[in-house]
Amino acid sequence: MRALLVGFGFLGRYLIKTIYGKREELEKVDKDFKLIGVGEIDGYAYNDRGLSLERLSSIKKLSDYPQDFFKGKTSVELIEKCEADLMIEATPTNIVNGEPGLTHIEKALAKGMHVVTSNKGPMVVAFKKLTDLAKKNNCKLKYEATVAGAIPVFSLVETCLQGDKILKISGILNGTSNYILSRMYFEGTSFEMALREAQERGITEADPSYDIDGIDAASKVVILANALMNKNVKFGDVERVGIRRITPEAVSLAKKSGYAIKLIGMINETLEVAPKLIPEDHPLCVHGTLNALHFETDLAREITIIGHGAGKETVSAMMNDIISIARTRSNAN
Amino acid sequence: MKFDLTLGLVDRPGQLIKALEPIAKNGGNIISIFHEREKTTGAYVPVSLVVDFPNVKSFEKTKNELEDMGVSVIKSEEIIEKAHITFVLIGKLDIGKIAETQIESMRIIDFEASAPTSEEACVKLNVEVPVEGAGRVISKLKKLAKEENAVLISSV
Repeated sequence: MRALLVGFGFLGRYLIKTIYGKREELEKVDKDFKLIGVGEIDGYAYNDRGLSLERLSSIKKLSDYPQDFFKGKTSVELIEKCEADLMIEATPTNIVNGEPGLTHIEKALAKGMHVVTSNKGPMVVAFKKLTDLAKKNNCKLKYEATVAGAIPVFSLVETCLQGDKILKISGILNGTSNYILSRMYFEGTSFEMALREAQERGITEADPSYDIDGIDAASKVVILANALMNKNVKFGDVERVGIRRITPEAVSLAKKSGYAIKLIGMINETLEVAPKLIPEDHPLCVHGTLNALHFETDLAREITIIGHGAGKETVSAMMNDIISIARTRSNAN
Repeated sequence: MKFDLTLGLVDRPGQLIKALEPIAKNGGNIISIFHEREKTTGAYVPVSLVVDFPNVKSFEKTKNELEDMGVSVIKSEEIIEKAHITFVLIGKLDIGKIAETQIESMRIIDFEASAPTSEEACVKLNVEVPVEGAGRVISKLKKLAKEENAVLISSV
């Protein structure tokens, strides 16, 4: 399988490092796996015979791979130019218009490439359009890394709950807000202090609104609703309240009654992201940066999965998507 | 819907079987039955039942038929299952307004307010509502919180 990676940021680089480290396992499924191109904002690296994973694992900028680096060329040109079987999209999320990831995915699917994306923007903005396009071109579009990082959400439902109807999903879908609320719960600190701490630890961005105003969680609610509950909803359909106004007094009052305040994304008849009181003995009551999802289904009734929702653990989901596609291709041949 | 029924039966063999006939005929499913022989008054023995009827009409029909048969219906009332919901409200709050708000059968069991260290006051409420109306109660409280520019945090 010939693959392209678009996005050479933290996650893209860690993915290459992981593929290099696990190349023997990958070769058991696909002995001809090659990464032939990597795109970034300032240009792309391309070699039809395959780029050196070892070399790419040791650099931070693509321009440090001078023999195959094409300065100023765009990732769209890379996708259009080369004959790849798979495009991996790992550019930053933009939930306003999904770009540039949306164009990358559309171009790749139109060329008949399978797609693995960690970028949730395109899946929030154009879920139906992209899944229809993948179907039309007989391609796989895998997006496990877009919701709850390393937690196998879509794989679980698609492979292990095939006879179930999902009635309700609720979950902690943003690790940063969970970290802040956990610090307030355990240490009694103010929201502002817990936020500063999260910023100092690099858990959130300098502009934290994406995390604390529930924008990130609402994006994931949209993907979950569309992918697992067959809804056709947009970001604006999610009723959203963030955690900015949570006070230490509120956390303390809740705690005295056996509850923790958590930012919960919820999908049933309505779509909602809001702070909720979670009983301390409820399986969703996880702390720190952990994510958790609680499914209510007609047959299995209740299932909860917990894990790391962001950071380098996310490559676990991407690797699983890549290997799944490689296996499907190898079974087909 | 479940009903709590107490019938006064004549203390003679076969009376209970007779009394159960209209219940079965009208689709009532007996959840429990208790023969309160120690509470016998005169010739009557009270029998307490919890019966699940398909609707109010079937319950009322049963009650009329029992009375027509001469069975005394000492007590008959619907059992309304209650849910307890906890809320925390944050904002510039008028507790009186919440207490005065008539939300279908919502009963405030207790509330606790904290001494605010900021402009935002904070209050916790435990309320009791009929199970079937819990969703509507939460929606109405959300609306009220929005009008008051308060944050409503409800239990899941």
